[in-house]
Amino acid sequence: MRFLGVFLLSLFVAVGAASARPSADPGLSSNEIVIGGTVPLSGIAASYASVGRGAEAYFKYVNARGGVNGRKITYKFLDDQYNPAQTVQATRELVQQERVFAIFNSLGTEHNLAVRSYLNAAKVPQLFVGSGATTFGRDYRRYPQTIGFLPSYVGEGKVYARHILKTKPTAKIAVLYQNDDYGKDLLNGFKAGLGAKRRNIVAEQSYDPLSTDVSSQMARLKGSGAKVLMVIATPPFTIRGLVAANRLGWRPQVYVNQVGSATNIMRIVSTTAGPRIIQNAITLISVKDPTSPRFRRDKGMALYRTIMKRYLPRADVNDGFHVYSMAVAYTFVDALKKAGRNPSRASVLRAVAKLDIRSNPFLLPGVRVKTSATDHFPLDQGQLQRWSKNQWNPLGPVLSAKP
Amino acid sequence: MTALRYGLRALGLALFVAVVFYVPFRISDFRASEFALIGVYFIAILGLNILTGYTGAISLGHGAFMAIGAYTTAILVADHGMKDLWTIPIAGLVAAAAGFAFGLPALRLSGPYLALATFGIAVATPIVIKKFDGFTGGSGGINLFEAEGITGLPEFIVTLPGGHQLSFNDWLYYLTWTIALVLFVVAWGIHHSRLGRSLRAIRDNELAAAASGVWLASHKTLAFTLSAFYAGVAGALLAISAFSVQPGAFPVERSIALLVGLAVGGLGSLAPLVAGAAFLVFLPQWAQDISKAPGVPSVIYGGVLILLMMVLPSGFGGLIRRLTGPLTSRLYRRS
Repeated sequence: MRFLGVFLLSLFVAVGAASARPSADPGLSSNEIVIGGTVPLSGIAASYASVGRGAEAYFKYVNARGGVNGRKITYKFLDDQYNPAQTVQATRELVQQERVFAIFNSLGTEHNLAVRSYLNAAKVPQLFVGSGATTFGRDYRRYPQTIGFLPSYVGEGKVYARHILKTKPTAKIAVLYQNDDYGKDLLNGFKAGLGAKRRNIVAEQSYDPLSTDVSSQMARLKGSGAKVLMVIATPPFTIRGLVAANRLGWRPQVYVNQVGSATNIMRIVSTTAGPRIIQNAITLISVKDPTSPRFRRDKGMALYRTIMKRYLPRADVNDGFHVYSMAVAYTFVDALKKAGRNPSRASVLRAVAKLDIRSNPFLLPGVRVKTSATDHFPLDQGQLQRWSKNQWNPLGPVLSAKP
Repeated sequence: MTALRYGLRALGLALFVAVVFYVPFRISDFRASEFALIGVYFIAILGLNILTGYTGAISLGHGAFMAIGAYTTAILVADHGMKDLWTIPIAGLVAAAAGFAFGLPALRLSGPYLALATFGIAVATPIVIKKFDGFTGGSGGINLFEAEGITGLPEFIVTLPGGHQLSFNDWLYYLTWTIALVLFVVAWGIHHSRLGRSLRAIRDNELAAAASGVWLASHKTLAFTLSAFYAGVAGALLAISAFSVQPGAFPVERSIALLVGLAVGGLGSLAPLVAGAAFLVFLPQWAQDISKAPGVPSVIYGGVLILLMMVLPSGFGGLIRRLTGPLTSRLYRRS
């Protein structure tokens, strides 16, 4: 036990000495770099498992081509059942037992918040957090080991608000939002974007992510007489909400947040409720849509399909989370290359704060991944899309979604 | 005869203590935190056993009492600057009070109706916690890592009064298992006391128990209260070991898992409940090691559970009784 104490102490000393001797960091050898993360593989949110698998597939593809500077990337992702207490346990296992170089791509707002102080105290990088909560990009001074990836929810909310101000400045607005940090973050951004026009919001209804029904909320929203409906919800609740709105005979202009707007989700709404409710619906997207005919000849998507076929042959190639996670993995590989031949935790952290990727093959054309010493939001651009003919179609240029 | 029986039990307990003390010397630092988690589940299952194993009242809501304990600790540490150790008994008492309050109306229910009512609190717990977000931190919960009160953080080194240093994980392990052993002895005491006999009489036949002079109302409420106390203590330890609490940490599955652990350990037994607790910690990991393919870990978990219940319908406790029963009964008879 005393030995273990010494071991742990030496771990901290090693971390402290990292800047002096770059190769001393855990998880790093001359031919391998081990990173880890948590993703729900079982339980209510098991459909997010693709966020781990897609990244793993991309790393396998990179490894088959020699890795990065001769190092193969080993990505260990553990199941946290979408339970933050399990996230803490699994993350500690990755840091203390597996001795990973960095935590990468862990999913969920509460889940990443639960381990953020721990990882920062242990000086383990917490890279490309799978949450758009603004705090992950904003509070880098307090948590220098942490960086997000998704466009911030606040920034996304502002984009919808600006579009509404431009197209329907006087319309009454109703909002359905998830009652947690994610939903409130996006709603706050939406209101900030509306500015003085926030009084156009005539009804707000929230739902609990553990509930099963939102029809009473939808009835109240409809009763407000709003002509615009902003849906801030995860896929199951986006479906239920829109189906309920349709059943009530309500025909608002619908805005759906990125979390719930995947093409397969919209198609479920369309087949359950008919196409009318989501006709001309609007969303913001940053990642290429695997179902879109626009990208049939696209090089990035061809690469995506090759990797899927080779390393995830039985997975659903139309699941957009796979594309998203490859976009994250691509960004990590880019940062690792920039961190030098003998990377360290410190040099990787410097590299993630100096990203400038103009052509991430898995992101929409024109969407640039850029960070700086004062900008810790890697992905803060997207393109509005309009739903028609059973698919998303681009609407206008690539926009900034800065918070 | 009783002297020999007590002697054997004391020996068993001493062996148990020795093993518990020795384990961290044999396992890695991280494993110590997992074994601490087993201790947490062991405490919660011991508590559930008082209610379900002895009294026969099925509770599907013990995760809620754990949540009450965990939030008591978190709020006391984060908002009132209390030291984590002192919050543990308070967490137990607050949860016990909640158990008492719930036990009163629950008296009117029995069997599946009680199970459903307790299931209701398990479902409502995370939502209720979020409702009072000024107090509980809402869906993001309360982070204790940066609070002063958690022993050994943020350096992950605990210095004992004698100057001896322990890693945080070893400390967690000893803390959890010391409390677990104390509560185990208490549970054992209850088992062999008049109270324990009365509770089992209620389980076997309420009418007969009442006819023999057992006051059903007070006994059932007491069982609920005691059981919730255990769950509250387990919740407090969970909050300390995860250095945070969130509503998402107490889903319905947590309550059901406790019942699974109890069934695997053996309803009504004591020491074998450790096996149930270990099952809860290690089986999901083991299932994941076999395959991470979509859905496969859950299927393995379910399959092993079904198999176990077929082979060992009375859990590990039943297995041990079956193996040692002939031996010990003969011993007692000869003496």
